[in-house]
Amino acid sequence: MSLSEVKENREALVSGINGDARFMSRITSIGLTPGCRVKVIKNDKNRPVLVYSRDTMIALNRNECKGITVEEVTA
Amino acid sequence: MSASATIALLGQPNSGKSTLFNALTGLRQHVGNWPGKTVEKKEGSFSYGGNEYKVADLPGSYSLSANSDEEVITRDFIASGKADVVCILADSSQLQRSLFMLADYAGIDAPCFLLLNMADVASDQGKKIDASVIEKKLGIPVVPFSATDIKSYDTFYKTLEKVLSKNAKINVDDLAKQYESVKGYREICDLIPENTIEGYSPMWLAVKVLENDEVVLARLKNSLGADAFNKIEEARKNTNGAVATGGCKFKWIDDLLGGAVETKEKKVSLSRLDRIYTSKTWGKAAVILTVLLGLIASFIPALPLMGVGEAVLALKAPVMNGLASVGCPEFIILIAGDVIIQSFSYIFKMLGFVFGVTLVFGLLEEVGVMARISYVFDNTMGKLGLQGKSVMPFLISFGCTMGGAAGARVIDNWGQKVLTIALAWAVPCGAAWATIPMLSAIFFGPGAVGVIVAILLTMLVHMWITAKVFGGKLVKKEDRYGMIMELPPYHKPKWGALFRYVFGRTKETFVRVTKVILLVCGIFWLLSYSPSGNGGLLYRVGLAIEPVTKFFGMPWQLFLSYIASAVGKEGAVGVISALYSGGAYGTAFTQAMAGGADTSNLSSLLLANVTKPEALAFIFAMTFNMPCVVALAATFQETHSAKWTARIVIYYTVVSLILAFLAYHVGMLIW
Repeated sequence: MSLSEVKENREALVSGINGDARFMSRITSIGLTPGCRVKVIKNDKNRPVLVYSRDTMIALNRNECKGITVEEVTA
Repeated sequence: MSASATIALLGQPNSGKSTLFNALTGLRQHVGNWPGKTVEKKEGSFSYGGNEYKVADLPGSYSLSANSDEEVITRDFIASGKADVVCILADSSQLQRSLFMLADYAGIDAPCFLLLNMADVASDQGKKIDASVIEKKLGIPVVPFSATDIKSYDTFYKTLEKVLSKNAKINVDDLAKQYESVKGYREICDLIPENTIEGYSPMWLAVKVLENDEVVLARLKNSLGADAFNKIEEARKNTNGAVATGGCKFKWIDDLLGGAVETKEKKVSLSRLDRIYTSKTWGKAAVILTVLLGLIASFIPALPLMGVGEAVLALKAPVMNGLASVGCPEFIILIAGDVIIQSFSYIFKMLGFVFGVTLVFGLLEEVGVMARISYVFDNTMGKLGLQGKSVMPFLISFGCTMGGAAGARVIDNWGQKVLTIALAWAVPCGAAWATIPMLSAIFFGPGAVGVIVAILLTMLVHMWITAKVFGGKLVKKEDRYGMIMELPPYHKPKWGALFRYVFGRTKETFVRVTKVILLVCGIFWLLSYSPSGNGGLLYRVGLAIEPVTKFFGMPWQLFLSYIASAVGKEGAVGVISALYSGGAYGTAFTQAMAGGADTSNLSSLLLANVTKPEALAFIFAMTFNMPCVVALAATFQETHSAKWTARIVIYYTVVSLILAFLAYHVGMLIW
């Protein structure tokens, strides 16, 4: 599933990142790489998705989130 | 003073780089442009222990890729050897993520040291960081640092001297080992000899090749020749790009921090303030309220300087009388009073605004509120090709366009900043809002409400069209990406550094803006001057081209007043009133700007001379004309581009005339 489909307050592991070179470079430089654990803090329509990863709150454009595939962690 | 060394500051957004820069350099800083580029160049200097140091605050974002001009400028500056030492900043409270810059830097051949900033925040969070463990693995000095702690600076200076004498460089062996696991890395690395591109190691270049870095690829093609380059192209086929190399960088960081960091598990949740800002229902309202409160608050620090502006104006009469009494020629007296004193009065009032707006909105930026504003308005502003932050200059511009232009400096991308300012000009300012209802009420009575609504709607359409007209050039399509941004934790402001920054910017604005305002006011005055007191070039031209201006619905009196409104909207009504009562143009204008115009019998004067469609045309022309000479100066100051400032001026002049034409002819249909 894509990161934008993860419900609020759920955690997930990043499994893949797809997009152009620029997107991949930007997304890794803010700390999202395959294998890293993220927690979705806020996921409202028409707003960037808020995720927490590597001690950091990150706002991600919804469209760009589609390139990030994750596996939900069942707590 | 002995020979100076140059220190470059490198760090991700929110790493505290600007705060450190301001704290080190204080008022000794200068903002210009990188040669041939539209990227802001911040330089400054300080002295320590009898040595003079230059500081360069390097632009950029989260990495050293080729995603933006800023990042390319930054890495080339370092690799070219222009920096004697690079100070890399990381945020101790988010150490793992913020060390990415260090990992991306590793392989560039320049002496450096690592500053673990915000050590105070990290320790408040219960994090314990053992810098010596990291230092041992890295091979460069690693310094815990807290901008609020004076002792920190001492360590900073000492480390600086040490690095300069020892030329410390990062030990990249472990990082290189990580990269070995990446498909294609070894082949590419072997194809790049040492010193292929000065300042960059083969490892660094190979990684950038894998990341599909267009700038590096082009330069390699140039220096290696087609044969070797084709082999590189072959080797990088079907590789995993930045995702694979990014993974290596973080693994290396994890190893680096192993045994050096102790953290307490903490529960992640939004603070109460963030719950309001990120709320679907209340977020936008909360942001608008924040900006409006900020705008009101910015008047408080602005007041003293505005008082100085008033005081300067009060000098005008005594100085002019004094000059007259010693027999000075009238021409000189008028220049001294109407041009020089008048201009400095504007300048000081403007500086008040710049000071207030820079302080309050700089504060919002520093404590982290600006990032929330970006988040909330990202979607809306994204449609115009802008960042969420751009909403802030727009709101300020309802008060004062110049404040809006000054507020736009928090936008870190030059093209988006210029576009934001260009759009902010379409927002009618406080002076226009004082004039619109007054004129509308005289001519249209209760219909004034309709005029105000029409003005607001026109503003929205105007902004939308302007975004289309200028957007393509200023914000390239490939730069219109969605938001990938950190929402930093709220920080306590560093007042000292903030005030140094604000004073520095205000001083610089003063120097640059004075020239523009004196020039424009001088030319305007010369054009309207005539020895007899009535006439002047502008007056004669206005009369001569009246057949043309009538086409836009403006008889010569209204047209001259429209011209005056480009210098300052406050003066527009005064000029109309003076011209219809037979006064002299030049004096009428300066008096009107100084608030001394006689508008007592304005409504009967206007109703007798101006038709309703003409009035409507004038209201639109005045409202959407260039905001004022001070806004022009502020735009030039913020964009650093005479070309773009001129483009915006011409565009607004043309559009305001078109709007006048439309309003006039719509008016003719109605009345």
